[in-house]
Amino acid sequence: MGRSLKRFLAGIMALTLGAGLTGCGNSKSAAGAEKVRLMVWSPSEDQSKESGEWLQTMCKKFASEHPEWDITFVYGVADEATATDQVSQDPDASADVFMYANDHLTNLIDAKAIVKFGGKYKEEIESTNSKELLNSLTVNNEIYGVPFTTNTWYMFYDKSVFSDDDVKNLDTMLKKGTVSFPLVNSWYLPAFYLGNGCTLFGNENDESKGVDFGGDKAVDVTNYIIDLASNPNFKIDADGSALAGLRDGSVSAMFTGSWDANAIKEALGDKMGVTSLPTFNINGGQKQMLAYAGSKAIGVNAHSEHMEQAVALAVYLGSEEAQKSHYELRNVIPCNTELLKEPEVAADALVEAQNDTFNNTSVLQPFVAAMSNCWTPVENMGKGIRNKSVTHDNAKEQTEAMNAAMNSNGLN
Amino acid sequence: MAKQFQSAKKNRMINNTIVHIVLAILAVIWLFPIFWVVLTSFRAEKGSYVSTFLPKAFTLDNYAKLFSDTTILNFPQMFMNTLFIAICSCILSAFYVLAVSYCLSRIKFKLRKPYMNMAMVLGLFPGFMSMIAVYFILKAMGLTEGNLIKLALILCYSGGAGLGFQIAKGFFDTIPAAIDEAALLDGCTRWQIFYKITLPLSKPIIVYTVLTSFMGPWLDFIFARVICRANSDQYTIAIGLWKMLEKEYIDSWYTSFAAGAVLISIPIALLFLFMQKYYVDGISGAVKG
Repeated sequence: MGRSLKRFLAGIMALTLGAGLTGCGNSKSAAGAEKVRLMVWSPSEDQSKESGEWLQTMCKKFASEHPEWDITFVYGVADEATATDQVSQDPDASADVFMYANDHLTNLIDAKAIVKFGGKYKEEIESTNSKELLNSLTVNNEIYGVPFTTNTWYMFYDKSVFSDDDVKNLDTMLKKGTVSFPLVNSWYLPAFYLGNGCTLFGNENDESKGVDFGGDKAVDVTNYIIDLASNPNFKIDADGSALAGLRDGSVSAMFTGSWDANAIKEALGDKMGVTSLPTFNINGGQKQMLAYAGSKAIGVNAHSEHMEQAVALAVYLGSEEAQKSHYELRNVIPCNTELLKEPEVAADALVEAQNDTFNNTSVLQPFVAAMSNCWTPVENMGKGIRNKSVTHDNAKEQTEAMNAAMNSNGLN
Repeated sequence: MAKQFQSAKKNRMINNTIVHIVLAILAVIWLFPIFWVVLTSFRAEKGSYVSTFLPKAFTLDNYAKLFSDTTILNFPQMFMNTLFIAICSCILSAFYVLAVSYCLSRIKFKLRKPYMNMAMVLGLFPGFMSMIAVYFILKAMGLTEGNLIKLALILCYSGGAGLGFQIAKGFFDTIPAAIDEAALLDGCTRWQIFYKITLPLSKPIIVYTVLTSFMGPWLDFIFARVICRANSDQYTIAIGLWKMLEKEYIDSWYTSFAAGAVLISIPIALLFLFMQKYYVDGISGAVKG
């Protein structure tokens, strides 16, 4: 037994060593060209064969446009949310170019892991993107990434149940069919509060302004949601129940984003409608629901050894051409203003809905550090309403308690 | 007299019935989630939410998808990665644990007590407390890229195994020292005593050690996540299963997630079934007198 064990261990050692060594093979560079090794991270769909290897294709094109550089690409898999954590944890061993979601931009800046774009690149980014989008990536007047899509949620509905006019108002919809909304998810629930004039950090990323989710305007909303939750035509969406409802016909409208679009299309077929958020009736007036909106962008690691090439690649991956290919291969909604004007793109209802939402029925999701205190209290409010522990009788104190919790970091 | 006997028997019957009913209820409650996962893994309806407990239709597609749809989440590769890591670290850490336990049980040396105290204190801290430090140490050694990640994970999982000696040492303590002395007189070395005499007498504890040291790496998520980072070809199944529940994937991967959960239980179940017979008291027949 002893000998076979020893042999086995030796085998393992040999295997790991061999595998490690094969990784070191190096390609010879063409004469004169500067040798560059760029590590690029993206979500796995961008690299999968089934969805057309968007990243590899784009990187190859980039390399052929720059014969002066002999680039070796190393690909890694990190979706936009993961990349933020990984890069800020250890920028040294992270990708030169990565995709990130803007809500953790301050983490990246604090970790000194992300570079500002300047000069001609900054001009190019500014000239091809909307003001709102640029705001989502701007801190102290510096731009920290090349945006390639927006990130928000809106409404999908069954056209055979709701008419184009119905979907403008939530209360009208509730009279005609079943609507499902993720009340217990704090990415969605604030839409009602924000719609009735509540603000987060002045809605302009100013931490000193604090959270204003209190007062009569917020209590009115809490009361409205309590009524909403008890409406027989309203269903709380949790754990994918709304999507299941769309499939079996028990739900006719739901709120989600582009990631569920294919599944909904499959469930509803040609009956699928998609539009920006509706209004809701409160105290006799109509208020507009406002979603959190953010963006996804391509960032460059501040520790990159090949800064010039990395920045050029980031700008290329966020360019009109790359966005178009991204849209065709993977249905990633573009944000380049030139591309959005193209008839083929402009005719897509999903693109229109997402961009309408971004431009008109959303607020920029704050990315100040204090924002992290805002998620749990709102979620608890939603759960309280679902469990009926928040009622009309205690709505006022519960709302004030939520506001206090959102303004506190739990330490002082 | 006969009547009294009768009623004692009756009492016992009633008692047994009650106990069995309670046990049956508990068993149902315990097995319910597992049963549900197995059912879900064969569910034909898509999505993560269902309104009925029993699937409306059954299919094997969820399993097929795990092995055919490998471009986004490469389950077979993750499975093999994990199996490789788990087997290697299982062998290494089982060896460490048994060797350390044997030394502490049989050899008297100065640092024995201090070592045992230190191990006790260190054991009070959760292992992942040091994970960032471990990551940077491995990075400094160049073990956080490519296939070397597997080696890094094996080191992580087996490196601290020597601290978990308590149970095995307790078991070795029950083997009479007289056997060792007899072997020593017959000319055995310490090592020969260990693997020729002590090990064959300790089958239950070896089984226990092997099982626990296989399951640790097989199920671990935290270290794998910290060390694998963006190297998707090195992912272990724990990371893969977790990915399947992200909001982009959950709708199309949920039933396959359940299928994956069923599949990962197979190696553990096999290992247990294979080794179960050794769990039965291994010492009774061997030691006479």
